Amino acid sequence: MDVKQSIAANAPELLTVSPSPHARRKVTTASVMKDVLIALLPATVWGIYIFGVRAALVVLLCVASSVLFELLTQLVLRRPVTVSDCSAAVTGLLLGLNLSPAVPLYVPVVGAAFAIIVVKQLFGGIGKNVMNPALAARVFLMMAWTGGMTVFPAAYDRVPLGADAVASATPLIALKGGELPEASLAEMFFGQIGGCIGEISALMILIGGIYLLVRRVITWHIPVTFLATVAVLTFLFPQGDIPRLTFMLYSLCGGGVLLGAFFMATDYVTSPVTSGGRLVFGIGCGVLVVFLRYFSGYNEGVSFAILIMNALVWYFDMWFRPRVYGKKRREKKA
Amino acid sequence: MKYTFRGGTHLNEHKDTAPLATVRLPDPAVVSLPLSQHIGAPAVPVVSVGDYVKVGQVIGSVEAGLGCPVHASVSGTVKEITTVHNANRQPIQHIVIENDGKHEWHENVKPFGKPLSETSFEEIVEIVRNAGISGLGGATFPTYAKLQSAKGKAVTAIVNCAECEPYITANHRLLLERGETVISGLEVVMHALGITDGIIAIEDNKPDAIKLMRKAVKDKPNIRVCEMKTKYPQGDERQIIYAILGREVPAGKLPADVGCLIVNAETASAISRAFYRGLPLVSRIVTVTGDCVKSPANVRAPLGASYSELIDFCGGCVKPPKKIVCGGPMMGQAQWDIHAPVAKGTSAILVFSEEYEKINSYHSDCIHCGNCVAHCPMHLMPNYLTQYAQAREYEEAEKLNVMSCVECGTCSYNCPAGVQIVQYIRVAKGALRMKKK
Repeated sequence: MDVKQSIAANAPELLTVSPSPHARRKVTTASVMKDVLIALLPATVWGIYIFGVRAALVVLLCVASSVLFELLTQLVLRRPVTVSDCSAAVTGLLLGLNLSPAVPLYVPVVGAAFAIIVVKQLFGGIGKNVMNPALAARVFLMMAWTGGMTVFPAAYDRVPLGADAVASATPLIALKGGELPEASLAEMFFGQIGGCIGEISALMILIGGIYLLVRRVITWHIPVTFLATVAVLTFLFPQGDIPRLTFMLYSLCGGGVLLGAFFMATDYVTSPVTSGGRLVFGIGCGVLVVFLRYFSGYNEGVSFAILIMNALVWYFDMWFRPRVYGKKRREKKA
Repeated sequence: MKYTFRGGTHLNEHKDTAPLATVRLPDPAVVSLPLSQHIGAPAVPVVSVGDYVKVGQVIGSVEAGLGCPVHASVSGTVKEITTVHNANRQPIQHIVIENDGKHEWHENVKPFGKPLSETSFEEIVEIVRNAGISGLGGATFPTYAKLQSAKGKAVTAIVNCAECEPYITANHRLLLERGETVISGLEVVMHALGITDGIIAIEDNKPDAIKLMRKAVKDKPNIRVCEMKTKYPQGDERQIIYAILGREVPAGKLPADVGCLIVNAETASAISRAFYRGLPLVSRIVTVTGDCVKSPANVRAPLGASYSELIDFCGGCVKPPKKIVCGGPMMGQAQWDIHAPVAKGTSAILVFSEEYEKINSYHSDCIHCGNCVAHCPMHLMPNYLTQYAQAREYEEAEKLNVMSCVECGTCSYNCPAGVQIVQYIRVAKGALRMKKK
């Protein structure tokens, strides 16, 4: 035997000792976040195609300022810098896709600051935030700049960089009034309508959502129960004279339900960890969306619905925790 | 039908050594036998420096309480009796024997005269105890005590050949090469406890072993072979019982409490060898592998041979080692000493390089993804247990049944954030145990 290969000659002075397990799956936080970015790509590209360079600028501003604010906050708070895990980029992209392409250009920056600094970092950074940062920021912006946030240009109305957009009616406004939107169902599905950058195309969001399911980044529980609940409720209680089925399909394709169900409600940090909890969480989101759309002063209720459910995650996890092996479901209290 | 359990995860198996026949380690010049290779009281030396000992001679014995005797694994002269720190940095007495290479067996090593049918329970317990047999799967619980605690309770005996840990192929080779000893060992156990239902439980990644064992038990109506789905931790006795019998072992109870006795394949083989040939436990099969080892192998090594000797026998290292693990990568223990001796619980020696070790270097905060909850075979919520352990709120962790954790490591394996979940749980369990005392 070759003497040089002997373990005694090869071993370092100190071997690594660490607790078991010594094997690990290759998936990391960073790889999960990158998967989410990839899944959002179709919807992003489609939004830019429909609304032009202005939409690209809004999205870019959101992502860049989110990453920058994360870096700055972590430097100021002397926390380890974790921008390389891409979670800030995901928050930024989600926020951008939630905005109208016609928002004034300071809005994305303020939104990113609110999402990253207030909602995420001040609560302790990744994994510690109670609410979905992108949605909380969107609601904050809605309150602060209601006017600017609710001007939605029509499809293919490519807003010039410096100019104001001409507002057009979105399908949800029509639905709320009990009228059939101008856009056909096919236009809704493929995304040739006015609205937020990333919310318009049902098809592109579905492609991304299926990618996440196939890659096992998310489980089916939340998106399926969320969408099924919205579908059932809108089918049972259509508004105006619209046929049930038509109203249901318009309600599913319009607004942020799909983006919310696949990308917002499934955010790991702000959704339950148990299958049972996820099912109830999804149903709750669906019920609240329909309730808010019908009875609130807003046309859309997805953001509020998910944020309200975010606050209840801990209770869902505890109520629907799995029965431990070798234990009865209800143990007598000691 | 393939048997399985709820939870768990399918690991990358790395069972590259499965087709390699077991090879015998050439005589080591010295062996260093730890006197505590089992759970329970350490053995006390009964030989002194300078004594001549033969193979199979008792050199350390436990007079009272739980424990197993330790036998000389080579013949030769006792060179020294010394205290060495084990992997946990606990001082353990070792007896160092200089090998004279004669392999002279001790006079006491002879088959138990009576046929199995005329042997009583007490006699079998005595044989198993005197042979120094403890659980060879890695837990090293003295087997005679297991038999005693199962007396009158167990109605099913299961031989655990799951070998669900990646890399290890020692049991697989044993089934292929000496499968008949596993069956006869099971028969000894069944006779001792009056059990009429014997099960050999094998994971479906060992089809050749399943086929061979099915053929071997064809005319034994009391014994059946059960094929289980390959999934970690199928080899955990609680999961085997659930998979095959659909019963759960209540928290804080033993398999015997649900009528089961479970022994590892190599333990069964050792029982057979002790009964029919009188052989005490002086050697075992060790899978030596890992990305550093030049030619991985299944090695039958005398107890007390040093890790470095086994690794060098397998061609040494192709790259500098970074971590040496005794046992499987999921539950095995990282070693700090390359000269540590092979003991009764050493089922594998894994040598990993710095490159391999990199997978363990990624760390972020818990992102609440729920992977640990989805895969936990005990259906716990490891993420919350970790949070409570980090906050030192151990009572809260106890309410979420932290004590039910079997520390299989499935949660840490699946964690994208690289949180050492099991270690936090161990801390919580340790703190709770201290408080109870």
